[in-house]
Amino acid sequence: MILLDYHNRIIEDTLKTRFNPENKPKPVDMSIVDFDGVSYHLSTLDDNDAKLNLSIRWKCWNELVQYGALDVLKREYSRWIIDPEHGYDFTLQFDLNDIGGDPEDVIRRVSLLKRNAMAAPFERAFDAQSLAEQEDHWDPSSSQLMTIHYRDGEAIYVQNQQDRVTVIFSTLFKEETDRVFAKVFLQEFVDARKKPHLQNAPQVIYSHREPPLEIRHVPGLLDSESQGYITFVLFPRNYAAGAVREETISRIQIFRDYLHYHIKCSKAYMHSRMRARVSDFLKVLNRAKPEIQASEKKLASGRTFRRA
Amino acid sequence: MSNTLRPYLNAVRQTLTAAMCLENFSSQVAERHNKPEVEVRASKEVLLNPVVISRNDKERVLIETSVNSLRVSIAIKQADEIERILAHKFTRFLTQRAESFVILRRKPIEGYDISFLITNAHTEQMYKHKLVDFIIQFMEEVDKEISEMKLSLNARARIVSESYLSQT
Amino acid sequence: MAFRKIDIDALEEDAFGEDEIDFQEIGELRPVADVDAQVNSRAQEVSGNTSGALSTSLQNPPYGAPFHAAKARNTQTVMEVLNSIKVSDVPQLVKSLSPEEQDVLMKYLYAGMATPEQNNSGHLLAWHEKLTEVAGQGCIVRVITDRRTV
Repeated sequence: MILLDYHNRIIEDTLKTRFNPENKPKPVDMSIVDFDGVSYHLSTLDDNDAKLNLSIRWKCWNELVQYGALDVLKREYSRWIIDPEHGYDFTLQFDLNDIGGDPEDVIRRVSLLKRNAMAAPFERAFDAQSLAEQEDHWDPSSSQLMTIHYRDGEAIYVQNQQDRVTVIFSTLFKEETDRVFAKVFLQEFVDARKKPHLQNAPQVIYSHREPPLEIRHVPGLLDSESQGYITFVLFPRNYAAGAVREETISRIQIFRDYLHYHIKCSKAYMHSRMRARVSDFLKVLNRAKPEIQASEKKLASGRTFRRA
Repeated sequence: MSNTLRPYLNAVRQTLTAAMCLENFSSQVAERHNKPEVEVRASKEVLLNPVVISRNDKERVLIETSVNSLRVSIAIKQADEIERILAHKFTRFLTQRAESFVILRRKPIEGYDISFLITNAHTEQMYKHKLVDFIIQFMEEVDKEISEMKLSLNARARIVSESYLSQT
Repeated sequence: MAFRKIDIDALEEDAFGEDEIDFQEIGELRPVADVDAQVNSRAQEVSGNTSGALSTSLQNPPYGAPFHAAKARNTQTVMEVLNSIKVSDVPQLVKSLSPEEQDVLMKYLYAGMATPEQNNSGHLLAWHEKLTEVAGQGCIVRVITDRRTV
């Protein structure tokens, strides 16, 4: 598996069993986690097992709302939105007797809840850019820098300009090894565009420690060795409309998790190699030990024994 | 530069074989103690001249000898940041398993990446030439392993980045 | 010994110290200036003169603790001589040395390899290989055990 899934697998599987009419409604109370510190709470009402609530909590929810997340969510989930459960940011409620739509489709959409919430700032930037492109005299001050602090110490910056949208990830590498590995990976991301079949891919710029021009004025940027910035420059062809656009939004969201997932994979692979190598070395070293001959010895009385 | 590898390993092999003449020797300082003199360094007269064999300024081997013990320290080639990390990870992985490696020192000597401590007990229980073989093979394979790991990391990075960007 | 601040073993009468090595192994030390002068004049003599240069540079090397400068100078002289000799001439040259000279040469080879920044280790390794073929491992053992270091 090279690419990560965009949806939450646990929600998908759980809803599949719940929405299956053959299964009788049962009480449930689950806490589910997702990437980037997202937590879900899936529960039935105390008095009614057929009513299923799904709530989401995310540190950056207020920022997302500010950039129009509720509009996107209303578009996707209008039927099921209820007031947020206590302690959570957003809640959907399903009636198992009347799901309201094709179950497959509903499950797919619901399992993309996090992705859709995060999609709002991207959609806004893409729309703003396509408007700006039609204007002759575009006012640069109308470009908006949207900041989403989606993890502790890490953020996504989305900015629309007249002919493109820039997405900047600020990432923090807690470990020296991660940082060095990430450098190798990101260098490949930068170079990948030189391949003929990737000419149309967005341009990737990686800078270590030094923040890119677009966000240099933002206060509170951490200045440390473990800080890195990755900039994606998206041109209109990358978010034309329909499927391409949805795919781009999904994929760019998963970037950080994707990168870290593969760093971890590399480390695991190195580890398994080292294990194999160490056992090889041990074999070589053990060759230096003489075999102890455990031959049977005979006592004068005729009894035999084995020397330990 | 691989044409210097053979004479390098050869020199290490010859020197190790020559230096590995160890005998049982009780401590002169503390009664009823018997410690590797190369480690305690309590009496100068039983320490011999340390020698260094170098291939270039990055790769070198330090061989310190005493009457009853021998210390071999190896500096592994580290051309860039990745190799440095990989070498560090690998040597740490090994030293954590020092228990089963018997002759491995749990902490390398300052300035080197990994150290072996061979005492007279080891040379009495094991074949001396095979011990030398082990160290030589170790030096050969460590370099190979690190460059292979580096290659595989690069290959993975390439595949990962291409499949991520080949969307639209 | 942790409770003592002074290393009392070092103060013992028959403790083993650097100057004692010099006395036992070399005998009376010559004045530093003499040795320096000798080493310098040898460097002059050897430069540009290949035939016999190796043998000359290995004669009567400066031993003993006080001669740091002379040791470094002489090592440099030997290194220059070694570098000026082609690898193909090495085996035959090594054979022509006396056993004492071979031991001294081995000492200088190890001394040269200890400072890889200044010397071409690859060349020294080639010398080492050829010398070991001729002189055997005993030569290495004598380098490790000899207190008269270069």
